[in-house]
Amino acid sequence: MSIRLLFTPLRFSGAQIFSTVVVFAVLYSFSSPAAHAQNRVSKRFPAGKNVRVELKNISGTITVESWNRDEIKITASLEAPNANVSPKLMGECVSIDVMGDNRGRGDVGDVNFKVQVPQDSSVDIETRRGDITVSNIRGALVRAHISTEGDITLSGISATQVLAQNTIGDIFFDGGFSRGGTYQFQSTKGNISVRIPSDSAFRLVAAAPTKKIALGEFWNNGFKTLGDGRKFVGDVGDGRSSVIVTTFQGSITFLRR
Amino acid sequence: MNCEKCQDLIGDLVDGGLSREDESTLSLHLEECLACADVRNDLESIVAFCRNHRGEYSAPPNADALWLRIRNVIEAETQLAAKAASTRPPAKSFWSGWMSRSWELSMPQLAASAAAIILVVSLGTTVGLRRWDNARATGPVASSPRSEAGTGVRDRMWQQQQAINYWNQRVETNKVRWNQGMRDTFERNLKVIDQAVNDSLNELNRDPHDEVSEEMLNAALNEKLALLREFSDL
Repeated sequence: MSIRLLFTPLRFSGAQIFSTVVVFAVLYSFSSPAAHAQNRVSKRFPAGKNVRVELKNISGTITVESWNRDEIKITASLEAPNANVSPKLMGECVSIDVMGDNRGRGDVGDVNFKVQVPQDSSVDIETRRGDITVSNIRGALVRAHISTEGDITLSGISATQVLAQNTIGDIFFDGGFSRGGTYQFQSTKGNISVRIPSDSAFRLVAAAPTKKIALGEFWNNGFKTLGDGRKFVGDVGDGRSSVIVTTFQGSITFLRR
Repeated sequence: MNCEKCQDLIGDLVDGGLSREDESTLSLHLEECLACADVRNDLESIVAFCRNHRGEYSAPPNADALWLRIRNVIEAETQLAAKAASTRPPAKSFWSGWMSRSWELSMPQLAASAAAIILVVSLGTTVGLRRWDNARATGPVASSPRSEAGTGVRDRMWQQQQAINYWNQRVETNKVRWNQGMRDTFERNLKVIDQAVNDSLNELNRDPHDEVSEEMLNAALNEKLALLREFSDL
């Protein structure tokens, strides 16, 4: 009897088959590793004036923007389930060290950050790989360093010291040069664009072996051309701030804001 | 004979040590000169007194007081001499002494001095011109600043290369821990930096004194070093 039942063909309706497929799909999607990806960590810190944010990442995008609150909010999306992100407050400095927090844990994948800070904050960011975007910061320092590849976009920046450096990727700066400030942009294989107000005053040293240096309306006859057009040195206005722009295999463009 | 010479010889005359010729000459002068004759008379009386009273010397009643007075007199004279020296006009400098000095040169001395000056000036000019010509003909020589800069670049490159080798070894041992994506990224970027280093080196081979290429080479090597150092921690 039981053997006969085993070999008896079963009949299923289309609705039954469809609902079974849907149930399995839902179960699979919840049990897959993708469900564990993008763990989110969010933390807030009280911030006084002149606060500083130091972020050391390995891989992933980093976005820093200002907001109208006296606090710092750090949101991290972690790709790997075993990754650890522990922001720390030390005096006036909020520090996030992904490498230090994950030493010995193996590959932690991408960690994408969104950091919201008061406008007058200083920002010091470095990562091995991934884009960095910083906007509307007016603190003393903005530093964006990518060891390898990733674009750097700095917009609405009014800091006295700005450093942006990568190997492969473009650098875009949109902001103002403060009197006595220092600004350094360097890329090995990337285009560097600097967008500043027309009345900016600075001393410029721009070098690009590709000879693609366009100073636009900031060019004047006082500029010294060196190395057959590979380097320009000169003052714009009273030259009170110092600007150094270097790209090995890309172009340099100055734009009026 | 004059008075000065006469008074020099009076002592010998009193002692009886003069030649006959000198004695007669001196006597003639003493007959004519009363001042010198007085000196001779004083000296003869002193000598005669000493001879007559030899061995009769007695110490003064208070020898200590006498020596004290003598010392006071000497010190007072020394202080006076020092004061006089300080109020004296300063000694002439070498240059003013040289300028105020009068020179008397004979014609042969004058000719020899002129010949010596001409010889020194012409030698100096010849040596100077020869050096200048050499510098122009050969360009920057080994001791020139540019050449030193070239040596500096090689030294710096060598030092940087040593550091690069060290960090490279550390990176190689750690690389196995990275994921494939990170390894690919690292290799790709290292290649880009190496390309920048090679471009700068090629330019420097074409023109060893190209300062822009030198700077770019230095920057590229620093960047390579930084990349290796940062990835050695990973």
